[in-house]
Amino acid sequence: MHKRCQTTLPGGAVLSNVLEVDSLSVEFRINGEYFHAVHDVSFHIESGETLGIVGESGCGKSVTSLALLRLLTKNARVSGEVSYKGRNLLDLPDREMRQIRGNEVSMIFQEPMTSLNPVYKIGAQISEALRLHTQTTPRRAWQQSMEMLRSVGIARAEGVMGEYPHQLSGGMRQRVMIAMSMVCNPQLLIADEPTTALDVTIQAQILDLMRKLSKDLGTSVLLITHDLGVVAEMCDRVAVMYAGEIVEQGTAKDIFHNPQHPYTRGLLNAIPKLDAASKERLQPIEGNVPSLTRMPKGCHFAPRCPLVFEKCRAEAPGLFRVEPGHLSRCWLNDAQEGN
Amino acid sequence: MLKYIVRRILEAIPTVLGVTLLSFVMIRAAGSPVRILLGNHYTVYRAAMLSRSLGLSKPLWDQYVIWLGNLLHGNFGYSYTYDRPVVGLMLQALPHTIIIVVVAVLAAHVFAVFLGSVQAYFENTKFDQIVTVVNYFFYSMPTFWLAVLLIIFFSIDLNWLPSGGIVNAQLSNPGFGDWAKHLILPISALFLVSVAGWARYMRSSMREALLQDYVRTARMKGASEFRVIFVHALRNSILPLITLFGLSLPVLLSGALFVEEVFNYPGMGLLYWDAVNSRDYPIIMGVTVFIGLVTVAGNLIADILYGLIDPRIQYR
Repeated sequence: MHKRCQTTLPGGAVLSNVLEVDSLSVEFRINGEYFHAVHDVSFHIESGETLGIVGESGCGKSVTSLALLRLLTKNARVSGEVSYKGRNLLDLPDREMRQIRGNEVSMIFQEPMTSLNPVYKIGAQISEALRLHTQTTPRRAWQQSMEMLRSVGIARAEGVMGEYPHQLSGGMRQRVMIAMSMVCNPQLLIADEPTTALDVTIQAQILDLMRKLSKDLGTSVLLITHDLGVVAEMCDRVAVMYAGEIVEQGTAKDIFHNPQHPYTRGLLNAIPKLDAASKERLQPIEGNVPSLTRMPKGCHFAPRCPLVFEKCRAEAPGLFRVEPGHLSRCWLNDAQEGN
Repeated sequence: MLKYIVRRILEAIPTVLGVTLLSFVMIRAAGSPVRILLGNHYTVYRAAMLSRSLGLSKPLWDQYVIWLGNLLHGNFGYSYTYDRPVVGLMLQALPHTIIIVVVAVLAAHVFAVFLGSVQAYFENTKFDQIVTVVNYFFYSMPTFWLAVLLIIFFSIDLNWLPSGGIVNAQLSNPGFGDWAKHLILPISALFLVSVAGWARYMRSSMREALLQDYVRTARMKGASEFRVIFVHALRNSILPLITLFGLSLPVLLSGALFVEEVFNYPGMGLLYWDAVNSRDYPIIMGVTVFIGLVTVAGNLIADILYGLIDPRIQYR
């Protein structure tokens, strides 16, 4: 795997990568045996950009995001390298890892209803992040947390600081989660399906808020989602995951206008469209995601692929380069095959 | 809040009355104190005289109404055997009980919460398994037998600690040290039995709490594992223990009966035990009322603590 810590643009400007993930694998122990949930995943996030990871439920996207901050349960075994500012997060002593969590890299989760501690006030939960990472007085931390609540669009910030999670709606709680994860001004925000549990109108508000905050504060975002609409709206680059592997990676434009992998095409075909031809039936991808314990031998997508041929079942394809920055894990993209 | 407390107390009155009525009737089914009091001097005539002077020859219902009327005036009656006011006897015994119960319950609670939490965190490790076995050992052991074992081991074999009472009669000037020595074994017996049960509750409660999403959020914020367990998960997982605390209060304050009996420790339990043996009705009824009141208080305290710990609970 090549190392790329910095990208020099034609003008001579230097873009540095906030995070580089190199052959990350996660295995879970099930009945004494280890099975891959995530296999050989590599990607990087440039400073200030938003990278989306899309895939069906169970494809390993959430596991990937939790593995980055080492938040997986004890029965998980993680290997590979997660390099943040030149340090491998996977090797870091616990103490140093804690200094990064919530401070330089923070995360918001799918379930705003259960992600906040029910027995502590909102103010205490947000300012805890500040007090863990900065030498500020309780009063200043409280004040700063309140300002953060205002900037996530909570008008009644002062009142909400003294309330408990059960007194807030789902959208409000997700705003609180965002305030909590952004209050230390992190370099990278990992958002694991941040809008899945919310109403559609609230979804749009939360996405707007995340986009605005990341732009204002220069925060890079890793957005995990199953919703291609969200990806189209938010992401600069996209990685498509299937059965624990990245199957296609490229700019949002590459993925939406020039999809290469049959799985990506399948996903795009499964989106309902509102144009004239909408009388057409949606085209689902037949079959199901294979379970961890029963991964197919060759290409993981082969059993569901409409373009499958012999080689796919025999041998797993690598990631082939379609164009610079656009990769696809499909034998059809293997230049040596002559396709 | 105040309204809630007042309402709960008013609601408890019929319960306490019911308990007194039941015990009043049932204790009389156990036999009359007259024969025990007279002993070798028993004659039919004397028995009738004594019965009459104790008011036991009246109809049961009248006896109850008289007793209740006296109670409402704060009069618990006179003990048959000690010939002293029941209130005085109870006030004498209560501090002795309170001292061992408060120390044992507080220590047991703190230790059980800590032990159960750590066990849950290290679930299914060797440490957890060993502690679980030890817990079961003490949990399934009858209190009185544990007390006897403690006496055999620490008083008889090792001769480190006194086997009972609260004072060494052979010392001319027994001080605080002597008193404290007498407390160690009764407190230990209560402590061991309580810890074993409570730690098991705490373990399962903490185990559940540690799987919750907010625990992951706390880790995400950069909180230490200590903070995750003892700040974030603890306050959520301690609620079942508060209930147990409320329920155990009357049992323990009414004397940790067996412990006081085995150690001959002059608290509420021993007072009650002796009163039952001699059919000393006024003491039995006095302690019964006391247990009723402490039960109500214990439940109320548990409910109030609940509200302090969990903001989702509101009093109406």
